[in-house]
Amino acid sequence: MRRRRGGFPWFAYLVVILGAVAMVMPFLDMVMSSFKGAGEYGVIPYRLLPESFGLDNYRAAFEQLELVRLFRNSVIVTVSVTVSVLITSSLAGYALAKLRFRGRAVIFRFILATMMLPPFLLLIPTFLIMLNWPLAGGNDLLGRGGDGGLTTSLVALILPFTVSGFGIFLMRQFMVSLPDEMLEAARIDGANQWQTWRLIVLPQTKPVAITLGLITFIGTWNEYIWTLLISSSSPELQTLPVGIQLLQSFLDPDRTMPIVMAGLVISTLPVLAVFLAFQKYYVRGVVLSGLK
Amino acid sequence: MAAAPGRGGIHRDGRAAYLFLAPALLFFCVFLVLPFLFAVVLAFSDWGGFDLGTIEFAGVSNFADVLRFDGSFVRPILVNTLLFAVGSVTLATFGSVLVAYCIDRLSFQGFWRVLYFLPVVATVVAIGNVWKMMYQPAGLINGVLNKLGVNSIGFLSDSSYALPAVTVVHAWASIGGAVLILTAGLKAIPEMYYEAAEVDGANSWRMFWQITLPLLRPSLLFVLITQFIGGLQSFALIIVMTTDGGPVNSTNVAAFEMYQQAFKFGAWGTASAMAMVLFVIILAITLLQLWIARRRGEETS
Repeated sequence: MRRRRGGFPWFAYLVVILGAVAMVMPFLDMVMSSFKGAGEYGVIPYRLLPESFGLDNYRAAFEQLELVRLFRNSVIVTVSVTVSVLITSSLAGYALAKLRFRGRAVIFRFILATMMLPPFLLLIPTFLIMLNWPLAGGNDLLGRGGDGGLTTSLVALILPFTVSGFGIFLMRQFMVSLPDEMLEAARIDGANQWQTWRLIVLPQTKPVAITLGLITFIGTWNEYIWTLLISSSSPELQTLPVGIQLLQSFLDPDRTMPIVMAGLVISTLPVLAVFLAFQKYYVRGVVLSGLK
Repeated sequence: MAAAPGRGGIHRDGRAAYLFLAPALLFFCVFLVLPFLFAVVLAFSDWGGFDLGTIEFAGVSNFADVLRFDGSFVRPILVNTLLFAVGSVTLATFGSVLVAYCIDRLSFQGFWRVLYFLPVVATVVAIGNVWKMMYQPAGLINGVLNKLGVNSIGFLSDSSYALPAVTVVHAWASIGGAVLILTAGLKAIPEMYYEAAEVDGANSWRMFWQITLPLLRPSLLFVLITQFIGGLQSFALIIVMTTDGGPVNSTNVAAFEMYQQAFKFGAWGTASAMAMVLFVIILAITLLQLWIARRRGEETS
């Protein structure tokens, strides 16, 4: 149903296909390299295809990279952050969309403003705050004396991401369009605000919750800088991206690159599967954030 | 528009609202307001350790050091940051306009957009390492160059190629997001403009320049500015691909230098001043964006 102007758009096909090759080629190279055996990688002239499709690198990745531990950390952090972002965004979004109270406009503006603070600016102070968190990791009430504060537990990877200004904004925009009659009916039936939110509003937010959940899931699964920083003194906290990156920087690249590629394939698959299954919702979230 | 207050009215609504907002507001106080104020204080102080008792007020000396023209920050680091951001935003915008416009004329549009979107979903560690591998003398790109009779290029080891090499990767990774936003913009252009132009006998080249591009301007501007801001502050790709911003600082950018100063050398003050300088640049661009949007009457509702 899209506009067709003049015959077969061969030029458009040419551009899009060439571009698509450039987009997919690196991933194809990643997958192919993950199957290359000893002595096959780093050889001139370059060859894309491996001689045989052995799984040795995947076996080595599980052993040398301790993928099970990295995977577990990634899952714990990602699920915790996603669930808490969904809950806090839905609660705050409902209040901003449907409840009348003093300071609503000011609080909404404040939440929009939080999205303007770039993460790199908060990196140093947030690290120091986590380090000096009162009553954590042996710290006293003033945050002194301990060794590491909150930075030695997975809490450090979850807590700074539990609320999202963008998430609140997205939820609020969606909830504004929910019919007031529905909420009033609940209230006439004697539901308090908590029950109205839990039983009436929450079930209605499924489409936007999937969008926000996906964006949060993919963003958290792939988060790198903060985890790198926190886990630099506590390697047991590494997630998949950080663990794989640190291993590859220690060892001889020609021998380990195929193993690293196997690890990267494994770490990319969950997020790729989730994206492909729900890409409609993810795409909508990106477009929504572009239209704000 | 808003819910009519029932019995108990505004008071009951208000208490519930504050309770619902409490987790978010408490969070923003601890993880945004407090760190922001702390960042400002740090930028004006001299401090190397972990004991807050030893912090000393240093006035603007950190800024004076950072912004000195013969110092190491302005050149090459701030210049690198701008080249990296301008280079990647130019490549990504040009590429995404071309691709979005072409996809809009094909069948299976969803399929094509998903392909372009793959790098947006992948972790920076995967992207960085795969490209690092492709840039090697024995990698895919030099393999193709050799086939064409060109000698291998040390993309990441030669200081004159390294910055363009990582810039290309950053642009490559951000095309998919831009394509989506531009597609939404393209779909919003009424079909009748094209029909009218067709009746007048305009070819597709003229339609692109005289209809598509002018009407796409709001989305285009959004993409340009957000991508530029993203380019100014990103450094994960640089850590992954170069480890230390090398060779000889040729790929070092401001946010990465801040990271190094803080967590490698413990120079909290210097690092925070660098962060502030970058923040002010980004804030100016953000305000410019808001100003342009407001002038066009596209303010957020």
